[in-house]
Amino acid sequence: MDAFFSALQAILNGLLTGALYALIGMGMALIFGVMRIVNFAHGTFLMLGMYATYFIFVKTGLNPYFGFILASGFLFCLGYLVYRVLLRHMPVQSDFMQILLTLGLALIFTDAIQLTFGADYHQINLPLLAKNVHLGSHISLNAPWLVSFALAVVLGSGMYWFVMHTMIGRAARAIAQNPYASPLVGINVHRVQAVSFGLGVAGAGIAGGLLLPVFYIYPTVGDQFTLKAFVIVVLGGMGSIQGAAVAGLVLGVVENLTSLYWGNEWALAVDFVIFLLVLSLRPSGIFGSQRV
Amino acid sequence: MNRSVSLVAAVFLACLSGLFGCGKGESPQGFHIGVITSLTGSTAAFGQAHKNGYTIALAEVNAKGGVLGKPVVLDYYDDQSKPDQAVQGVSKLVDQNHVSIILGAYSSENTRAIVPVVTQKQVVLLMPTATADNVMETGSPWAFRICAGSGAYATATLDFLQHNGAPKTIAVVYENTNFGQSNEKSMVDAAKAAGLDVVDTEAYQASSPDYKALLQRVKSKNPEAIYFASYLLDASTLMRQAEQVGLNPKYYTSAGTGFAAAEFATFDKGAGKNAEYTFSVSQWLPTAKWNGSKEFDEQFFKNTGAHPAYHAMEAYASLITAAAVINQAKSADSTAIRDALRQINLPDTPFGPVKFDSKGQNQHPVLITQVLGGQYKVVWPPDAAEAKPVIPAPPWNKR
Repeated sequence: MDAFFSALQAILNGLLTGALYALIGMGMALIFGVMRIVNFAHGTFLMLGMYATYFIFVKTGLNPYFGFILASGFLFCLGYLVYRVLLRHMPVQSDFMQILLTLGLALIFTDAIQLTFGADYHQINLPLLAKNVHLGSHISLNAPWLVSFALAVVLGSGMYWFVMHTMIGRAARAIAQNPYASPLVGINVHRVQAVSFGLGVAGAGIAGGLLLPVFYIYPTVGDQFTLKAFVIVVLGGMGSIQGAAVAGLVLGVVENLTSLYWGNEWALAVDFVIFLLVLSLRPSGIFGSQRV
Repeated sequence: MNRSVSLVAAVFLACLSGLFGCGKGESPQGFHIGVITSLTGSTAAFGQAHKNGYTIALAEVNAKGGVLGKPVVLDYYDDQSKPDQAVQGVSKLVDQNHVSIILGAYSSENTRAIVPVVTQKQVVLLMPTATADNVMETGSPWAFRICAGSGAYATATLDFLQHNGAPKTIAVVYENTNFGQSNEKSMVDAAKAAGLDVVDTEAYQASSPDYKALLQRVKSKNPEAIYFASYLLDASTLMRQAEQVGLNPKYYTSAGTGFAAAEFATFDKGAGKNAEYTFSVSQWLPTAKWNGSKEFDEQFFKNTGAHPAYHAMEAYASLITAAAVINQAKSADSTAIRDALRQINLPDTPFGPVKFDSKGQNQHPVLITQVLGGQYKVVWPPDAAEAKPVIPAPPWNKR
């Protein structure tokens, strides 16, 4: 019975982490789906979301569970501008230049944060952090992770709805299907791509804001999440946002179960084993190749 | 045209350097000592502690006239908490700054990486804080260590446990780089030799937000004591999540570092009240009996507004020792400095006596502390104890 409950506990914890992974992955998938840009700065944008939320909390005392909304708004604008000012001028289909550009952005933002906030780490200690929700005598869940999970599910669904049912979302999907035909039917490609990039970046920013209460921040904290986002996007099928959502949850659970049965040092290895297996055996992702 | 300009420039620079004719480590500004530490990256908190310690020592050394009649200048190299950067740091400090002695690095991982390089370049390396014993096992004649190592940590912890309830089972939880691995190995070997049952060893990747599954594993093995080898951010996360999964061993012991950092027991930058009752090894505390400990603490507090942990003191002691050694060697030559280090005997520093054995290791005693009321209190050995240890740690739901 104990074995059952510890597995259940690990699965639940995995889902809580996985919801944040899902948000990160959905943002990356949206950007990749609509623009075919592999965003090497994705984890950096997550880091910026954390710092923005932290900055708002320190300056105004606004609870990070509200502050992250402002922070993600800021990140949306930042993403929009980055597209308008930089990415738009990239030659079409120049993958290499896109990679260099996003990598360069990652370095610039990381160093800018280091100059502004210093290299030292920071954390915030909400009273909520000490609260644990007990389900029966065997299962306990940490309150901030639960709140983050709930918000991530709501916002992730919102993002999905936006892409599926709004005019801009439809336009984004049209561009993903055929970037050459979509302007012919009257879609303003640059505007839609700018919004999509902003939205994808905001997704990472939201995940950052929600991660802040249970984690700590330092300028390079986002790097590990860029790698995770790659794994999620590949697992979910390149550019499929619902695929990325499911893949994020799966990855969270797999990591936790690996950690429980084999040990924590294998959790990261399993990420990349999945990555390699999916790429070599099923490059369209385990959920098929449906794009945005 | 371009070629001739660069030729002239090169000749000019060559003349310029010939003109000053400075020896190794010297320049018009003073005598240069290299420092490699982690001013940025994941262990930046400790690198900053290093820097604060060096700053105090530098002021003290220069107030006493510096070395060889010149003021000491510290050339810092930030290794960004990465071993490859630490290696580059040695090249830069030796090839460009021409130092003959280097203090550093911060972490065991980075220190282990630079030992072969300083050996090859034949400059002296004085290690302030690297506790992994393998940094001293290369047999390099250029490596000296001022702090006690992982073997001494394990022995001291077990000695404390044997005399305080003698638990039968222990689990080791360690971060998966040189520091953690080395402390794990030392503890597993020493625990087995002392007759304890090592029921679990768990490696983890520092910087992960989630250790709950790992702690669940430890919980299922039900050890009486746990020995952690962790840096600061992971130590805080581990102790918070230990409450979340309801992990209740009788003893939370640790190989210092994160568990001994001044920030660990604070609410703002550490685990807050979850740090309470954890044991840690320690190399030094502001309350240590050695002359100058109190003054160092006061100066540190004046400079930074916080009290130091032993990492800052070890950096301080390294620079004080280096200055004394260079003056004793009466030379800037690295071989002369190395030979003087082997001879040096400083019976009365704020870090205690400093004297290196034939392997380059300073024999430094290890204390055991416990966090009680948010303060580190020495609980072992009895002649240094300030408080009685609280055993067992109260279960989380009774705190």
